[in-house]
Amino acid sequence: MVLFLAPLVVMLTGSLRPPGLPPPRGVELLPEGAGLAAYAATFELVPFGRALLNSVLLAAIMVPLSVVTASWAGLALAQTSGWRWRTLAGAVLLLVMVPATAVWLTRFAVFKVLGLTGTAVPLIAPALMGGSPLFVLLYAVAFRRLPQELFEAARLEGAGPLRLWRSIALPLVRPTTAAVALLAFGLSWSNFIDPLLYLSGEDALTAPLALHSLELLGSTQWPVLLAGAVVVTLPAVLAFLGAQRMFLGEERGSGWLGR
Amino acid sequence: MKPGAPRGREAMVWLAAPFLVAAALLVGLPALLALGLAFTEYDALSAPRFVGVDHFLRLWDDPLFWTALGNSLLFAAMAVPLRLAVALGLALLLHRGGRLARSAVFLPTVVPDIAYALLWLWLLNPLYGPLALALKAVGVADTGWLLTPWGARGALVALTVFQLGEVFVVLLAARRELPEELYELCELEGGGALTVFSKVTLPLMAPTLALLAARDVVVSLQTTFVPALVITQGGPRYATTFLPLYIYQNGFEYLRLGYASAMTWVMFLVTAAMVAAQLWVLRGWRASKEA
Repeated sequence: MVLFLAPLVVMLTGSLRPPGLPPPRGVELLPEGAGLAAYAATFELVPFGRALLNSVLLAAIMVPLSVVTASWAGLALAQTSGWRWRTLAGAVLLLVMVPATAVWLTRFAVFKVLGLTGTAVPLIAPALMGGSPLFVLLYAVAFRRLPQELFEAARLEGAGPLRLWRSIALPLVRPTTAAVALLAFGLSWSNFIDPLLYLSGEDALTAPLALHSLELLGSTQWPVLLAGAVVVTLPAVLAFLGAQRMFLGEERGSGWLGR
Repeated sequence: MKPGAPRGREAMVWLAAPFLVAAALLVGLPALLALGLAFTEYDALSAPRFVGVDHFLRLWDDPLFWTALGNSLLFAAMAVPLRLAVALGLALLLHRGGRLARSAVFLPTVVPDIAYALLWLWLLNPLYGPLALALKAVGVADTGWLLTPWGARGALVALTVFQLGEVFVVLLAARRELPEELYELCELEGGGALTVFSKVTLPLMAPTLALLAARDVVVSLQTTFVPALVITQGGPRYATTFLPLYIYQNGFEYLRLGYASAMTWVMFLVTAAMVAAQLWVLRGWRASKEA
């Protein structure tokens, strides 16, 4: 446990070192004169504020969109049974296995032909397929655990697919939604490759790209780089701490795990 | 589907429409295009020109491609077993509570790739990095790990071992689904911890482990990209030039999109073959258990 936290703690303490000093000679737990000067420098060197805003906006669009499309597809998938279920679930699993790197190039070509490179569309588009086929599977598995009579009864009362989804299915799988939302947030927040390929210009920076350009400035000021890394990491850590209750839960039957 | 199921069921299929359309556009179409482009010369500026199987012949004679392929396979061979073993150990250790410890294990996984790579670049810095300083304090002077091929490879493997949150969570769930009665029975019969592990835990969790191994092989082929780009830039002496990095360089830096597409397809086939081999082994293993 200590071993897993160590790199993060070192990152935090390293970022508190005042920039501009010669590197330390020995191991120091808390640097002398610890302060937030490196953070100020970080925000001065690259437009981090703008980049953070862009990343927040992207996440605000992508997370709900991913949850909606993944749970829709998951619900449809959960309605099947027998060989159909095995075939379709297997197909989605295969889709999970397709390496993202395998479609980088030509996905880029597709968006280029559509004239959409340089816009946010290529970044958001994956949310339309639920963010990742894995999320569809998570939802399908969760929905299959619900008693089918619930759905049959609602259907007899004339509820359509959308009402079934909104008022019966979704409220019963909250832990899965928490897990998917967290993972979708991670995907959108950490996404480095797509913005690198599709976006350019200072206004279009996302937080990971801003960190990358900070690095490319050739700064050997480690506290400044580390401060940038902390800034980019912090929202992801906060999101995780907010959601971890739901899926690393203690008791059987409560969390995402305790099924 | 049961015969005579109410009609409303079919309508549910429409809920999958956005996913299917997006998957076709974002994965299906690009995959097919990659297959097509692999047979053409294309630089994204002028129209693609058909060249037949030239690219595949060139790949055969490209020593760097073989190096990259070898590096990728080597990386998977080192990282996947290590990640699974560590995650399994932690899951067995923590399946009975310890939410704080679980969170700690998961935390490095949520760190964004680029920040994570930068963090390790600093940790491993031979002059000012905390690791080098700590080692120097105890008298170890050799800190040039990123300068040797095996040191750089080892460092990249080490940093992926810390990001095993997803594997860990799935194994945790799998362990919790095993019936407790089985373990109580083992205790009554006086089986040692090692016996219980090899006779009960491991066989029951083997299917989950196999699936995770298959997924991890695929993941390990991709996760090398950012660290290799940021930390080692493919070096030293191409020791960490992995396939994704080589594809990226060819496609986006040298604008050889046709050539890169051919490489992409080879990588995809290699991945599929590895996953198929694993599932085949799993099936054989299962059959031998049931017989």
